[in-house]
Amino acid sequence: MARKRRQLEGEAGELNLTAMIDVAFQLLNFFVMTAHPVAVYAHLDILRPTPGGKTLEEAQFTDLITIMIFKDRFSINTKQVSQVQLEQVVTQLAKLGKNQSVLIQSASDAPHQRLITVLNMCAKYGLKNLSVLSM
Amino acid sequence: MIDVVFQLIIFFVATASLQDQTFDATLKLAMAPDGQPVTAKNPLEVVIDVNSEGQILMGRIRYDKNTLGAILKQTAATYGSDNIPIIIRGDGRTRHQDIKTVMDQCTGAGMYRIKFAAMKEAGQ
Repeated sequence: MARKRRQLEGEAGELNLTAMIDVAFQLLNFFVMTAHPVAVYAHLDILRPTPGGKTLEEAQFTDLITIMIFKDRFSINTKQVSQVQLEQVVTQLAKLGKNQSVLIQSASDAPHQRLITVLNMCAKYGLKNLSVLSM
Repeated sequence: MIDVVFQLIIFFVATASLQDQTFDATLKLAMAPDGQPVTAKNPLEVVIDVNSEGQILMGRIRYDKNTLGAILKQTAATYGSDNIPIIIRGDGRTRHQDIKTVMDQCTGAGMYRIKFAAMKEAGQ
């Protein structure tokens, strides 16, 4: 008698999950098919010169390194360099100290990508004290 | 309960991409594979788009430089110029002159700390 009751209770408690699992797989398929890789963004911090800060003339007497960006070339302290040479200099600078001040000057007609390339290079080697000026 | 869970999943998946729609989708951001990845979003941040033609947009609405300057000054007066992160999303092809215009408006409002947004890993 007791066994019979237990059997009946077990049958009543069963739930047919087939339909729900079907829907779950449909949703899973949909999301997998429509998903696309999400772009990862980066932020590159710079500092604009403040009116009360050092003037450029004052700053040039210290260890300030000036990277100039032109439409088709780079230069460091007025000496023209290739991108590879620029990276070598940035690497050496970073070895001297991560707080080395770097002044980046960009020409008006230079594409923004070139400024980002230089900032990316500085970020790669951990240089943080970056100021951007425009020529 | 499972119904509610599915509803929530659908809601989050559907709204996840709405964030990107506040920016100019035509911008091709410059690549910076070694830049610091964006992990958290500051609700106070001001994002300024500069497209390849030099047009200035905020939340897909186009502004001239004077209006941008006025907005930034108002924002700085309300929240303090040091507390507002400024993020410039410039197209890689944009001339620096156009980026400078935006930077000058930021410095005019007393905001000297600026971030440039770039693409660390390209999506689709």
